[in-house]
Amino acid sequence: MPYLSPARCRVQWALQHWHARSPRALGVAEHAGLESPFHAASRPVIGRLCLAATLLALAPLAVAVEINAALTFAPTWESRASASPYEVGQGTTHNGSRQDLELRLREGGFNAQTTLRWQATEGNKPEQHGFANQAYYDGDLGPGLGFTVGKKVMSWGVGFGFRPLDVVQRENRRGVNLPALTGLPLLALERFSADSAWTLAWVRPGAELGARTGSDDSRDSSLAFHWYRLADGDDLHAVARLSHRRGFEAGLGATRVVGEEWSFHGAALYQRRYAKALNTLAENGGLLATSDPMLATTQRNGLKAVAGAQWTGSHWSVLAEAWYDADAYSRAEWQRLDALTAHQRTLAAIAPAQAIAGNIAWSSQAYLPTNLLRENLLLRLAHDNGDDFKPYAELLLTPADGGRVLTLGASHEGDRQRLTFGLRLTFGLRQLGGKPDSAYAQAPLRRAAWIEWRWALF
Amino acid sequence: MFRTLTLLLLSLVALPLQAADDVASLLKQADAYRLPAAAVRVETEVDLYRNGALDKERSYTVYMKPGRRSLILMKSPAEAGQKVLMLADQFWLLMPESQRPLRITASQKLLGEASTGDIASMTWSTDYAGSKADDVACPQPPAELSQMAGSAAPKAATRCLHLDLTAAAPGVTYSRVELYLEKASKLPVKADLYVSSGKRAKEAWYVAKTLDGQQRISSMLLLDDIQPTRRTVIRYRSIVPKDAPDEFFNPAALVRNSLSGW
Repeated sequence: MPYLSPARCRVQWALQHWHARSPRALGVAEHAGLESPFHAASRPVIGRLCLAATLLALAPLAVAVEINAALTFAPTWESRASASPYEVGQGTTHNGSRQDLELRLREGGFNAQTTLRWQATEGNKPEQHGFANQAYYDGDLGPGLGFTVGKKVMSWGVGFGFRPLDVVQRENRRGVNLPALTGLPLLALERFSADSAWTLAWVRPGAELGARTGSDDSRDSSLAFHWYRLADGDDLHAVARLSHRRGFEAGLGATRVVGEEWSFHGAALYQRRYAKALNTLAENGGLLATSDPMLATTQRNGLKAVAGAQWTGSHWSVLAEAWYDADAYSRAEWQRLDALTAHQRTLAAIAPAQAIAGNIAWSSQAYLPTNLLRENLLLRLAHDNGDDFKPYAELLLTPADGGRVLTLGASHEGDRQRLTFGLRLTFGLRQLGGKPDSAYAQAPLRRAAWIEWRWALF
Repeated sequence: MFRTLTLLLLSLVALPLQAADDVASLLKQADAYRLPAAAVRVETEVDLYRNGALDKERSYTVYMKPGRRSLILMKSPAEAGQKVLMLADQFWLLMPESQRPLRITASQKLLGEASTGDIASMTWSTDYAGSKADDVACPQPPAELSQMAGSAAPKAATRCLHLDLTAAAPGVTYSRVELYLEKASKLPVKADLYVSSGKRAKEAWYVAKTLDGQQRISSMLLLDDIQPTRRTVIRYRSIVPKDAPDEFFNPAALVRNSLSGW
């Protein structure tokens, strides 16, 4: 089975989670051991009961020490496109479910957020594991001067669907039903005044800066700097980052509020190096590979940029945002990959089926990045009349190839008490489509539906 | 004759100025019943009722400083970790999931079940201005107010001063306020709150209690005109003078947990 494993399994796994769970948040991060490992796959039920009993015992302390616990149940249903040139599986649906028991603790400068997760996806053995999303200490060195040490979520920049200046956390902003973010180990020095601030962070300090350890951005040791200033009512941001994988990155961003209803934002990031996984057969010629042909190619002088405007009335909110991501495929790169895939499918009479399926599965890794095309346009309409039910609609367009993603969703906040129990329900439906030869229309995933129940226990 | 006319003209010009000064003075006196100091920490509980039944309960810690600066920390489990920063007419929201301060507009601040302006704005004298105060009969309080106040129920209606106030600063929650103060004590009794369209959005009733020998506003009842099945009760569990450092009111500092000792 040289073509179908392990790459085949990895691609299938990733595609099942595509846009429902970020590869970085779940796939790469977990496989790379980002989370403090106390994997409990083989632990008996009594372990879970002990944890539940511990949480209940902690409840009376919640007010004094600021402890919060929440239980999340998040099933996802995915319908796959059997006609997609990149679909090699037999099934037409892939369902999954995630249950998280989350505990947050804040005492003084100490902050911890841990998760115990039970996860099941169709066709795979259920998994259980626990990890720390965050565990860090915020200390003070003097008036307005502080430090942070530990594992922390550090998000920077402006933007709704895409944030070019988010050079440390690199949050996936286009996923649905995403679990809580997992931070990165870092050591940071922070300075605050009344209207300005800066942060200097050494991210993943365990790895030597400049060493060839970074297989992806979350593994890359880096020095990162963020500067913020509130000037004449405008939020101004600047970031710089130095890492082996990207080299030097630097960017600027701003948000301006006009009147009581309008806000505008924009940001741009220059990258000395940027990388994407391209199929060497599509780029250099060839028909079938015997090992994964998707190789990371490094290119120079990349740009990421976003610009957007939002209007908020008494009950309605409208957002329009456009962005460019050099890390994503160009239209020409998709056309070359499409042509290769179509050619490979014509070889059914003369090549082993496994070889063809394996090559297509490898090519389908092109669907892993958050942005499939460089140019993206997002339109969002949301309604909030103060009721519990808050619906929204989003339309993502890729003008270069005519692709689109329509998302309809809503959130609902149920009864919630001051000290115990609260319910939040979110649900939605996402449909991919557009022109027949667009990347989204040819995606192995056709539509996804999801629900997330979140009970705040105390 | 000429001297008399001059004096008459001068007095006509001076009257509105004097009245405006009086209104400003009245507002400061009324504010003193709500905030004992310019920089405070307020522990607030909010109960939201729908069709007469308790729908939601929330808890907030609010830090306020001069210069129309407020920082709201949300304490209820479903909102734990959320923060709203208000610097005059500029607003930021921090959601714990993202750990990134999000700039929001004044309109976005008003979305949701409870306006943060009702919780974080407690001074009329810095936000509103008026030109005259009329001597009127005090409005009749609703029945819910007696239930809320319990033994501290207000006395029967007395004479009140009626102040018609307009927003004097950008970004205030309500563009116009009709405020009723007890004539003798200047204690806030009621406020009609209008949004920018001119429509009355809410009716606020104030309940005072004696704390440390001084009368203080201890709770507030909000009746919603736009969604009349709703009413909100805001209780001030404690209001203590507390001068949090300026850097805590920096939007970028919202991600830090430094306020736990304050």
